[in-house]
Amino acid sequence: MNTNPYGFNQYIKDILVGGKSLVVGLWITFKRLCTRIVTVQYPRQKLTMTANFRGHIEAIRFDDTKSHHCVACGLCARTCPSHVIKVQGEKARAGDKKVGTRYYIDFSKCSLCGLCVDVCPEQTITFSKEYELVYYSRWDTVIDIMGRLEGSR
Amino acid sequence: MNITQLPYIKDVYGFLGSDVMSGLVGLLIIAALVPLNVAFLVLVERKVAGHIQLRPGPMEVGPHGILQTLIDAVKLLGKEMVTPSSTDKLLYWLSPIIVVAPAFVGFIPLPFSPLVQIKDVNVGFLLIFSFSSIGVISILMGGWASNNKYSLIGAVRSVAQNVAYEIPLLLATMPIILMTNTFKLGEIAQAQAQSGLWFIFYQPIAAIIFFIATTAETNRAPFDLVEGESELVSGFHTEYTGMRFSLFFLAEYTNMVIAAALFTTFFLGGWHGPVLPGAVWFFAKTYFLLFVVMWIRWTYPRIRFDQLMNFAWKILIPIALVNLFITAIVLKVL
Repeated sequence: MNTNPYGFNQYIKDILVGGKSLVVGLWITFKRLCTRIVTVQYPRQKLTMTANFRGHIEAIRFDDTKSHHCVACGLCARTCPSHVIKVQGEKARAGDKKVGTRYYIDFSKCSLCGLCVDVCPEQTITFSKEYELVYYSRWDTVIDIMGRLEGSR
Repeated sequence: MNITQLPYIKDVYGFLGSDVMSGLVGLLIIAALVPLNVAFLVLVERKVAGHIQLRPGPMEVGPHGILQTLIDAVKLLGKEMVTPSSTDKLLYWLSPIIVVAPAFVGFIPLPFSPLVQIKDVNVGFLLIFSFSSIGVISILMGGWASNNKYSLIGAVRSVAQNVAYEIPLLLATMPIILMTNTFKLGEIAQAQAQSGLWFIFYQPIAAIIFFIATTAETNRAPFDLVEGESELVSGFHTEYTGMRFSLFFLAEYTNMVIAAALFTTFFLGGWHGPVLPGAVWFFAKTYFLLFVVMWIRWTYPRIRFDQLMNFAWKILIPIALVNLFITAIVLKVL
C-alpha cells in the first residue's frame, strides 16, 4: 500500500475527501437557506425585555393610591455614587406626610448600579424596560421620572 | 392564404431577415436585457446571502425589497466620477468601457431556443472565450492606471488566475467538441436535444471542471482573490466610483450569466426539455446555475493564492487532460 503523502493514492484520496467536504458544506448552507430568519426587523418589530433588564430607573404606580409611594426622603439621592438623582417633595398641609413631586435623573451619568432601587424605603423605584436611548443633546438625557409616570397613565 | 406567397412581401420586409438587421435587433435586446438582468441578479444574490445567514436581506424598498437594486443604480448614476490626480487618464477612462464590451458580445452565439439566437457563429464558443480574454486586459488596464498598490495587486492576480483557469476551461470543453464535431453552440444544443441525453451524463468530470473553471474565470467566490476585500480593499476597482464602478459590476454579473448559459448549452441540453418552450427551459437552467454560483459564494471561504494556482495546475489540468484523452480513445474505438 502506498502511503507516501505525495503519492498517487494520496492525490486521489485528497480530491475525493475534499469533494465530499465541499458537498457537506453546501448541504449545511442549503439547510440554513430553508430555515426561518432569526433577525428582528427593528423599527417594525420590537423585542420585549427580560424581567431583570436594567433600563433607567422609573417610579412604580401602586393600585392603592393610583400613584407612586415616594416620600421624598432623599435616600436615593444621597446613596447615588454618581449624583444623578434630584428629588423634591412637599407637604400639602402641616402634619401631612411628605409626597414626592419632582424627580429628575441625569441618565448620561448613571451607571445603572441599582443602589437607589435597593435603598428605597417605599420600594417605589424600579428599573424600566426602556432601551431606545437615543438623544439629540446631553440635556435630553435628563429624565423626568414623575412626568413619565403621569404621562404613561 | 400563406403570407409568404405574397410577391411583394420579401421586397419590402426582406431586410428584416438580413444578418445586419438581426444583429442590430439582437444587440438592442441585449442592451436592454443585460442591465435589468444584472439588477435582478444582484437582488437575488443579496436575498440568497441574507437567507443563508438567517436574515431577510433587503426589505425596505418595494415589497420584499425588489426595487432595491434599481434605487442603487439611480444612486450610482448620480454619483460623481472621481479621477484621482496621479492616474493614467486615458487607460483609467477606457478600462470600464472595454470591460463591458465582451460581456455584450458573449450573448451573440448563445442559443436561447432553436429560434431565438442572434447568430450561430461557426466559431461559437471560441468567440466567447476570446472576447472574455479582453475583459482580463481591461482589468489589468484599470488596475495599472489607478496607480494604487491594491488595484495593481488585484489586477496582477486577475491575470495569473485567468491564464491558469482558461486551460482547464478549454480542456473541459474539448470532449464536447470531439463528440459533436462542431463549434456552433446551436448545433451542440441540437445534438443533445436529438439524443435526449444531456452531455453532463456522458461527461460529468468535464462538467465539474468547466463549472469550477468558469467560476474562477468570472472571479467569483471562492476564487475572488481579484477583489479580496479583506486584504485588497476591493482589488482592481478600488479607485473607481459611480457609474464606472457599476460598469465593472455589470460586467462581472453578465459574465456570470454567459458562463452559466455556456454550461447549460454544453452540459444541460441547452433549450431541451419537455412541455415548456425552449427559451423557458434555457433560462430556468441558467438561473438555477446562477443560484448555485451564489450558493457556493456564501458557503466557502476565499482560497489562498498558492492554493488557487495548485488547484488549477495540479488537479484541474491533469484530470481534464486525462478526461479528454479517454474521451478521444472511446470515440475513436466506438
